[in-house]
Amino acid sequence: MKPSVITRAGAPLIALLVPVSPSVLADLQSLDDSAMAGISGQSGITMELDLAATANSISYFDDGSGIHLDGFRIGAASDPNGRAHQIYKIDILDDASLNLDFVVQDRRIEFTDVRLDDNPAASMGGVFFDHDLDGNLRLSPGGSLSSSGYTYDVSYQMTNGRLGYRTNGNEVFLDGITMDVNAPGMTLDVDGSTLVLASPSVTGSFSVDAIRYSNNPLNHGVSSDVTSGALLPSYGSLSGDFDLSSETWIAAGGRFGDEGIRVDGSTTINSANFIYSDDGNSIALLGMTGVNTVDNLRLDVALDWQGRQSLALTVDSISGNLDIQQVQLGGNGGNLGQINLDYLFADQTINGQAYTNAVYLQGGGNADAGSQGLRLAAQWSLANANVAYTEDGNRVIFSGLQSWGQGDLTVDVTRNEVLNGTQFYDGLRIGFEGVKGGYRINGLKVGDDDAPLQGGTELLLALGVFPSYDFEIDGQITLGAGGASGEGLTINSDIQITNGRAALVAAPYDEGNGEVSQKGLWATELNYDTHVREMTVDVTDDGLAIIKGEAWGTMDIGNLRVGDKVEGNSFGRFVVQNYEKGSSMTIRPGGADNVCVGGSGTDASSCAASGGLWEMRGEEGVTVSLKQVFARAISDTKRNAFIWETNRSQGAGGPENGTGTQLVLNDIHTSDGEDLDGDGIEDNTFGIQTDLSVDIYHTKVVKKEDGADANGVVGNRGDEKIMDTSTAAGYRYVAAPTDTEKADRPLGFAVQAHSRFKELSVNNIDLVHPTGGAATAIYGVKMQNMDIRANLTATPIQ
Amino acid sequence: MSKYPFNRLGYMAGLILLAAQVSPAQAELNLLNDQALSGISGQGGIYLSGDISINEDGGPIQNTYFGSCSDTTKRCGARLAYQLKEGGGWMVLDDIRGKFSFEGLTLRVRKIDSGFGGDGALFNRDVLEIGLPNFVRYDSVTFKLATSSTARPTDPGFQQTDIFSVEMQGDVVLEGNLLVFPTGNP
Repeated sequence: MKPSVITRAGAPLIALLVPVSPSVLADLQSLDDSAMAGISGQSGITMELDLAATANSISYFDDGSGIHLDGFRIGAASDPNGRAHQIYKIDILDDASLNLDFVVQDRRIEFTDVRLDDNPAASMGGVFFDHDLDGNLRLSPGGSLSSSGYTYDVSYQMTNGRLGYRTNGNEVFLDGITMDVNAPGMTLDVDGSTLVLASPSVTGSFSVDAIRYSNNPLNHGVSSDVTSGALLPSYGSLSGDFDLSSETWIAAGGRFGDEGIRVDGSTTINSANFIYSDDGNSIALLGMTGVNTVDNLRLDVALDWQGRQSLALTVDSISGNLDIQQVQLGGNGGNLGQINLDYLFADQTINGQAYTNAVYLQGGGNADAGSQGLRLAAQWSLANANVAYTEDGNRVIFSGLQSWGQGDLTVDVTRNEVLNGTQFYDGLRIGFEGVKGGYRINGLKVGDDDAPLQGGTELLLALGVFPSYDFEIDGQITLGAGGASGEGLTINSDIQITNGRAALVAAPYDEGNGEVSQKGLWATELNYDTHVREMTVDVTDDGLAIIKGEAWGTMDIGNLRVGDKVEGNSFGRFVVQNYEKGSSMTIRPGGADNVCVGGSGTDASSCAASGGLWEMRGEEGVTVSLKQVFARAISDTKRNAFIWETNRSQGAGGPENGTGTQLVLNDIHTSDGEDLDGDGIEDNTFGIQTDLSVDIYHTKVVKKEDGADANGVVGNRGDEKIMDTSTAAGYRYVAAPTDTEKADRPLGFAVQAHSRFKELSVNNIDLVHPTGGAATAIYGVKMQNMDIRANLTATPIQ
Repeated sequence: MSKYPFNRLGYMAGLILLAAQVSPAQAELNLLNDQALSGISGQGGIYLSGDISINEDGGPIQNTYFGSCSDTTKRCGARLAYQLKEGGGWMVLDDIRGKFSFEGLTLRVRKIDSGFGGDGALFNRDVLEIGLPNFVRYDSVTFKLATSSTARPTDPGFQQTDIFSVEMQGDVVLEGNLLVFPTGNP
């Protein structure tokens, strides 16, 4: 049996798309001869109509299970009771092709709910799509495979577009969409029982004036609030262009039962550019090319792994690559560098558990947010990926990235209110419920894909990324519209990570002879509870500015293990608590530029004269400016503290926290040391300010011992390591390298850091005995007037 | 020979530190050369070089006590004060300045199950290895040890007695590896 589509009102779906309803016909006006005189192509048929069509429900059934689009409507975008104006002109051309010119004005296509049979009270929410269209479709006989197919030439311009998602009276939508598309030579053929759709060239451009948010239930698809008249807040705007080609194969048959849909496809990005703008300042991904292949994507109405009915999207594999020639950041157009990635999503087994790639869409969203919302029961399995970052021609590849997991993600558009005891915030809320997963990186390669695998993934710690991480996540992140000023993002989040295992130092999990136990320094039995309030994210002239309103959290590392992440011996328990108010971070394109390492001087000669090494690190790279304002403690959870606990009692599940001896650094805080605003409280605005400029650069690496090294390459102590692809190991040692050889020094991360603070204090340092209680060892520590500068280079060990 | 041969070196707060040329245990240890390491799995890790300077041009505070390094009437270094007795005086490291540079500090996790004159096979454990740079250069590293009546030099009633000053200049040889691993009850 084929999948069937019916409307609950009893009308065929085609009735909604083609103007045949009586109400529409009644409004048609015949064109008299004088009116016809202004229309070209009078040999064909012109249809002009005002369309308003509704259906209570459109249903799709798959093996007896149904999914229903309720509240379906086509009509005017500007008037919920109005009609969309449409003009179609049809001609048969000399070559027997059918030419259709179409003009659509003020049309909205929408549905208010998507429901599944087993839980009709829960809705996935509603979607609306507004648009004006002016375009042309030419249909010719003969496809790419046989004369029984068809060829389509399509071009159109869409203006005044809106695409929105609505739950429980709140909306997020793309506003003011303009899109030009030209797709000549598309073909449609039937190959056996498979539809083959080929698009040899799809070119076009698009822009979105704003991504808006509304928390007023009276608003629906409007740019300004109907109550106040004010323009709705915006996350920013989008623009871009594309040149694609693709082939898609569509066949009947799902993964579950007899019915369903199968899709295979391949898309090539010949070129594309994507720009996100915030008040005119942009993040631009320029010069994109790539290929994406989808193998055996199935669409079913089926049960997920917990037996919940869903719209199931399951796939055998997704693979491809993406190259981004420039990543520009900020209004000044600085370039971060180049990114290349390749990926393979496919089934894999991790720690004895099989993972696949599937998304099961269900209604309801967060249980407390209301009846509308989206729940995605997801499984993911990234079997392999390589991410390369190149700046100023120097390339580092993070190789062998794997990720896996499963759990529920919820998507709701929420407003600032408490519902059923849960605090919600204005914005698009993404919830995590029982998401259990992980990732790991095998190692680094420098230069090209064929370079030997090296260590060094711990360099990612500087960016706050663990080289390997197993986690269970619950919580939410809400993305609100509007930044510190104008467009941008405001983020409120509460995230709880439990049973985590995070690597601080990690060796490869596969050195070429199959998977091995990954050795490292591990934070295990990790529970991390973190909260952020009113954090704004804006693109500025300089780069990306992130300002934290209030942030607090507790990272409780049950065991810090060395060696294996499960069985490695433990240094004990470490707890790090943070409480910050007014902290900020700015990410800017451009690294350290020219640097004198190990000496001082403003040019190469003066640097060399001081015994330093002059390095010209180029214009690309990234600089991160941090300001961390550690606030004074106001509670046991909102404080900055560090605890090291050992000698814990052994329970059934291992050492029991809180039963051992503790070293406690309590109430760590920054201060300006004076009260300039006269409020009777010492100011705390300076914090710890740190600038980190990161480049990929050739680094001097010297041999530390005479003789052969780990790879059998012979050299003397003090010799420099010089990369040389003509040698078996890929490098050799040189006593006194020439300038040419110095250009082949190993690549690594070069970090220029500048950190300073006015005051950093520890209120007290206690030693806590499980029975004797706390004894204060130091009654206060105060550091003042610190300014530290560092030039560090970090290269992976080969 | 004990079950864990490194016990000879003694325990220090749960960590055992082996530094081949700065430890009195030098005679008992055999350095693993680069080639010997080739038989050890987990070759990951990083190699660090660079320099670190403290208050080279002064710090961020400008007041009656702290100021620019060109102002001889003020101190431009960093200051660390700590109080060992509640309500008591403060121990102070004051006017901390200087620059350190080094080449070849390495960090990695490795398993020791061989070498060390046969002790490695008995040890058979994973360690965090900090490979010391052969040289650390000290450039005008200075500080003063002092006692003070208050935490801040700008607090009311501030009095300070500078006990002695330290200045370090030149190269320090730091060879071998620092091995850090857990022991005892976590």
